[in-house]
Formats: sequence, structure tokens, C-alpha cells
Amino acid sequence: MSNGLVQILDGNTFVVSDSNGDIEASLTDPTGLFSFDTRFLSKWVLTIDGQRLNALSIDDLQYFETRFFLVPGTGGVYIDAKLSVIRQRAVGNGFHEDLTILNHDDKPVDLSVRIEAGSDFADLFEVKDALAKKGKYSARVDRGRLLLGYERETFRRETAISASARARLDKRGLTFRARVEPHGSWTTDLDVVTAEGAGGSYVRPKYARGATRARPSMELSLEKWVADAPQLECDRGELKRTYRRSLVDLAALRFSPPVAGGKSLPAAGLPWFMTMFGRDSIFTSLQALPFTPELAATTLQVLGDWQGSRVDDFRDEDPGRILHEMRYGEMTAFEERPHSPYYGSVDATPLYVVLLDEYERWTGDRKLVRELEHPTRAALNWIDEYADLMGTGYIWYQRRNEKTGLENQCWKDSWDSISYRDGRLPGFPRATCELQGYAYDAKMRGARLARLVWKDPALADKLEQDAADLKRRFNRDYWVSDGEYFALALDTEGNQVDALASNNGHLLWSGIVDKSKAKAVAQQLLGPRLFSGWGVRTLAEGEGRYNPIGYHVGTVWPFDNSFIAWGLRRYGFKEEAAQIAAGILDAAEFFNGQLPEAFGGYERTVTKYPVQYPTACSPQAWSTGTPLLLLRTMLGLEPLGDHLVVDPALPQGIGHLELLDIPGRWGRIDAFGRGRVDVEERRGGKSSGASRRQRSKRNAGR
Amino acid sequence: MTDATAEFFDALVERRHEPLLEKATGTVRFDLKDGKTTDRWLVTVDRGDLAVSRQNHRADLIVSTDKPLFDYIASGKTNALAALLRGAISVEGDIQLMVLFQRLFPGPPRSRKQRTSAAPAGRKR
Repeated sequence: MSNGLVQILDGNTFVVSDSNGDIEASLTDPTGLFSFDTRFLSKWVLTIDGQRLNALSIDDLQYFETRFFLVPGTGGVYIDAKLSVIRQRAVGNGFHEDLTILNHDDKPVDLSVRIEAGSDFADLFEVKDALAKKGKYSARVDRGRLLLGYERETFRRETAISASARARLDKRGLTFRARVEPHGSWTTDLDVVTAEGAGGSYVRPKYARGATRARPSMELSLEKWVADAPQLECDRGELKRTYRRSLVDLAALRFSPPVAGGKSLPAAGLPWFMTMFGRDSIFTSLQALPFTPELAATTLQVLGDWQGSRVDDFRDEDPGRILHEMRYGEMTAFEERPHSPYYGSVDATPLYVVLLDEYERWTGDRKLVRELEHPTRAALNWIDEYADLMGTGYIWYQRRNEKTGLENQCWKDSWDSISYRDGRLPGFPRATCELQGYAYDAKMRGARLARLVWKDPALADKLEQDAADLKRRFNRDYWVSDGEYFALALDTEGNQVDALASNNGHLLWSGIVDKSKAKAVAQQLLGPRLFSGWGVRTLAEGEGRYNPIGYHVGTVWPFDNSFIAWGLRRYGFKEEAAQIAAGILDAAEFFNGQLPEAFGGYERTVTKYPVQYPTACSPQAWSTGTPLLLLRTMLGLEPLGDHLVVDPALPQGIGHLELLDIPGRWGRIDAFGRGRVDVEERRGGKSSGASRRQRSKRNAGR
Repeated sequence: MTDATAEFFDALVERRHEPLLEKATGTVRFDLKDGKTTDRWLVTVDRGDLAVSRQNHRADLIVSTDKPLFDYIASGKTNALAALLRGAISVEGDIQLMVLFQRLFPGPPRSRKQRTSAAPAGRKR
């Protein structure tokens, strides 16, 4: 819940309403019933005898179900509580609502109960950009149903509304004559069902009530989902709460695209990004691998099915490229937006190979590696054949769709995220540093799979040679020697885009960093310019564009930090990784265990609590996955052959920690650890001291 | 006048094997309405091996649309998935087969592989 709005969802069908359960959307107002990126209800307002209702309380029963307790009258000081109203709503192929009116008086009452209903059938993109519709609307009453329709050429969408109690239907809603006996109740069920296409077949809402009402299947699967994941025992109770919150949110974020055969992958964010996103689905699958490896399997299969196969400028598609985002609404259907699907991301493709290899290392599922040989080879080929726009042996990006494509195709995708120290922005194409790390890692891991599973040692040799060459060039071309870190990007002249940014942590994760440079990089990450005390800032303090509440220019992103912690572990900086884990997990406690997408980069000692960055989506998938990956890095979990190595380095405040039944090629294994790293001491202690020296050296060099 | 649809299917016959479809096995029938007649193409996919006929056979996936629209799709002027989303194509059966098969349609005729420039003379530092 945010801004007084209540959200429930099932896959990419969701309802956003006010705290009364009412929906009164305008074109720019993001409330309504949405499914497959179309708004099927923009008006849903309950009145009793012409009066609006007033919310007493709201129960968020499940992420797909909520209950509103209401009384007549709006807002006054005195509330006449002779009547109360309960609306219980569950989403699933539209939604189902149980409406109950209770009479607390000794006398019977006769009420006129009215539901105003309407739909603007807006595309999600239209809601974002406030665009006008091009088709025709209709409303009619047919066999006890109110049918709201929209039609543009062959594109048709329809909403059907019906009730179990006797109602008078008109084109703008339903009216009930309700008699409620003394201390009695009156009730009706309401079904709102969405349909696509001409004469589309309606699907019953999943939780329709009746004598034979089954338990909602999602609730069952949620229990099973949590039970199947490893169990966490920990002296620090808040961490257990954060862990459970992550598992439940991850369940809510599961999205089952039409081609996945009922299996699900993580969508990017709830509710506006409940769709396939290459980058977000891959990062979240990586974070969740030790806990729910099946998400990775589905992500790999589905993204492989949708892999680019041709050159298409409008969609920024190339053969072998992994998609960025898929949408199903009207603007996509009429090619006014390129999301069918859109391919404008440059990191998803190398990360696809990284995920497949990491998945095999955990699960030993070579069958999938064999099955995905073709898309994985195509992804590796894309790196060399299509991503090297400047012919320099690096991955570059520049959109070909200049009207509706994405300008920045890396994870820091806002307009000002890539800058020089002095704040200038480079031109295009751009070669950000983390992309080169991902490419290096993809080649190394691709080589392992080629040798081990595809039995192609020649390819493996070539990939390893390419990777070694890339690493050598990268450590020469990107190293900012007067600052002792890697530049954020190269520009088209081959100059360094020299701001200091969190991307350095992803470089450690990828393994592209020369051992001799790793210590300096780790010191920068934990130094005062980047580390806020909660986590690593996206951009270092002191850079021209630094702003502690700038989206990618100073805020702290939990997801970013989880990969930075993984990177630090990869190079043996256990204590530094524990320090980042401690900061982010401390922050999580301020958000009831639900980490936001980003929070302010203010110094921890100044604000005392993490300042949330306002975003529309919560939970965000890769923030949800963050505590999972941090558990992995703190415990030092690493598959080695058929074994799982456990090498814990936990912050002191955590105390004793057990992670039981970790699934993998070893079956199930338990891991134990005890907090011994003194992060308080480290925060004020030696590591930041070293970095402070670095800063003065750098400033002197300016 | 060239028939983009016939050219597309003829090219499939010549290709015989398509690596993009190695995951797929099944039959796809295209019912293309052209005025009063319906043009039918049946594609059999066996782990990437392709066979094309004009039989009116039962199929795992039936794709129905107008012949003029399919000419556009077969020549890359219209995107098949967008057309599916707007109801200009209807499909019945195995939707995954559709997702895999649509990859064989060409991209827009004007779209070209992004040119890689020559390497810059060297780093200016």
C-alpha cells in the first residue's frame, strides 16, 4: 500500500483502489482493474442511498486478496455506525467481490445499493503518458450482465460485470434494493471478468464463492512455496522477518507468461512491471538461485524462446539478443510502442549466459544446458557480432529506435546516469564498464559449458582467449590511474567517462578486475565517497552530478549492493562484503523487511534512518531478491563440484545463523555461521581511513 | 506480381533445417483468407527439420489471418506478434509453437545490422 492506494494482484492482473475499495480513475490516475497492460475498469464506486462510504480499516489478507471495513458517510467527526459494510475482494482473471451489509439496529432498513461501473480501456502506456484513445466504446446489458466494450479495428477488449443478488442493470452500473433485517445482513457477490479478442471467451474469476468453494489455489501454493525454500534460524529475529517477507514477495512477483507452460519467472515489480524483463528476471533469478532454483530454469527457457532472430530497428532487435521488456496492450498491438517484445538492453544477453552457467553449478541440470545450447551460442555470438558498435572489442549501446526506444540500455537507465567527473554527459554510443565485465564473465562461463556439456573444446578455447584479451585491454583502457578505480564508461573517442560509480562492484563480481587492482577497488567501494554506512551509492559523493536523492546518481540501490557484496567475496574481501550486507539488512528493518528499489545516499550518521526514494513499484523484484543473495554472500555459499562450500563471514549483530535445506546438486544441505565481523569498528575504522587518504590524493591531482 | 507468402514458404522448403526451431516439434497450419478462397500451408517441424505442404490437415497450431496481411508479415512489413495482440491474427493450439515459429519471419526491409565504425585512432588521454 502506498499513497493511500490498495493493491492486490495475480500475475499481471491487478487492482489498485482507494482505501474504500473504490476506483475513480482519470486518464493519468493509476487506479483501476488492469490485465495484460489494459485497464478494464476505471470506475467502480459503491454508494448506499446515494452516500459514499468511509473506511474504518483494511485487512491485507494476501497479496491477491483484501478486505475493506466501511461505514456510510464521508469523513465527518460523528460516524453513525448503525450500518457497516464489508467488501472482500480477490483478484484472478478479473476480480471477485463479496459485498456484505450489516444492520446493527433493532429496526429493518431498506437500502438502495449502487455500484457505478465504467472503463476507459487505457493502455498502461497511455496511463503513464496521458494519451487519447483512438477506438470506440460500448456499453450494454445482456442476460444479466453489464458488458463494457472497446474496439479499434480488430482489437477488442470487454469487461463483463454480474452479481449473484437481484439487481437492476443499466449502462453505467448496478442497483440493488436491499432489505436488511434487524441485526441481520444482506450480501451479494460481484464478478468482474475480462476478455480479449472478438467474442472472447470469458474466464471465471478464480475465487468465485459458492457451496463448493475451494481454497484459493494461490494461497496453497504460497504455503508450499515458503515451505519448499530453505528454513532460516537466526538470533536476530528481524532477519527472519526480512527473509520471510522476501519469500512471500517473490511469490507475488511470480509471473507465468503464456508460453511457459504454467511455470513462472520473476517479473520486475509490482504492479506496473508485472511482465517479463530480461535484465530484472535474470538478476532476480541469480539472487534466488540457492533458494528457488526453478525460477532460473523458467527464466532461461522463456527468454530463450523469445530470443531475437532478425534485425529490427523499431524493436532494437538483433539475432541472439535477449529481450528487454514485453507488453500486451493496445499501443504495442498497433506498433505505436515497440514492446512486442522490445530488445533495447545490452546487459541481458551476456547475463543470460552467466545465469545458465551459475544455474548448472548449483543444480547440475545439464539437460537444460544441452537444450539451451543454441540460444546460448547465439547470445555469445551477439556479443561479438552485434554489440561491438565501434569495432573496439567492447560492448557499446546506441538505440536505433530514436522515437520510443531506450536511450540508456544498461541498468542505470536514466538520462543523466552516465557522466564524467565534471558532470558532462558523453555522446552515443557508450560503453559502460560493467557491460565489459558481464561479457568477460559470459565468455568464461560459456567456455566452461562448451567444454563440459556441449563437448566443443575449440569454442571453449576461443572464448577463453577472447576473455583473457578482453580482460587485459579492459584493465588498461578503463583504469583511472589517478583515482585508482575503473571509469564508468568509454566515450566514442576512446576517452574515459571518469566518474566514480558503484559499477566498480559489478566488475569485481564479473571477475574482470586484475588481482593487483582489486584491493584499491574494494577500498573505493567501502570508502567515504561511495559507502554511506547503509550501502554503496550509485555515484560517488563529490562527482559533478552527485545527488543523494538522484535516481542513479547518488541513491543506494539494495540490488546493486547485493551484487557488489558478491563481487567482494569473489576477490576474498569477506569482511567488506559482510559490512555491506550488515548495512543493507539494517536498512531493511526500517522498511518492515521489504527493501525499496532505492533509498537516499545520505550519510548514515546524519539521517540515522534510510530515506526512501519515492517509486511507484513495491515490491521490486531485485530488491526482494537482495536479502537472499546477501545470505549467500554472508555464509560464503559456493558450489564446488558436487559439494557446497560454506565459508561464513557474518556481521556481529546477527549472532548465530542457520540456513537449513539448501537445495542443489548435493540434495539438501545445511549451513551454519556466527557473526564475528565487527562492522561498527570497520565503519569508523581502518578501511575508510585508507579511502580518505585516497580521496585527498585524488583531489590533489585535480 | 511477387507473392511474398509463397516466397516465404518456398524458402522454408529450401532451408530444410532451421536451428531456431530445434526445440520445436509439431505441425503449424496457416489458413490465409484471400477473398472467397482460403490458402493453406502446412509446416511440419521435427526438432528443426522442416517440411511444407498444402494439405488441409489437423495441426498442433492453426494460424488464421487474411492473405494480404500475411504477405506483409512474410516480407517483414508487419510484426506477427503485434498483429496477434491486436486480433488481426488468431491462433488456436500450441502458443509456444507460435512464439518459436514467428522468429522465422524477416525483420523490416529497411532495418540493417548496425554498422561498426573503424576503431578510433587511439585513446586520447
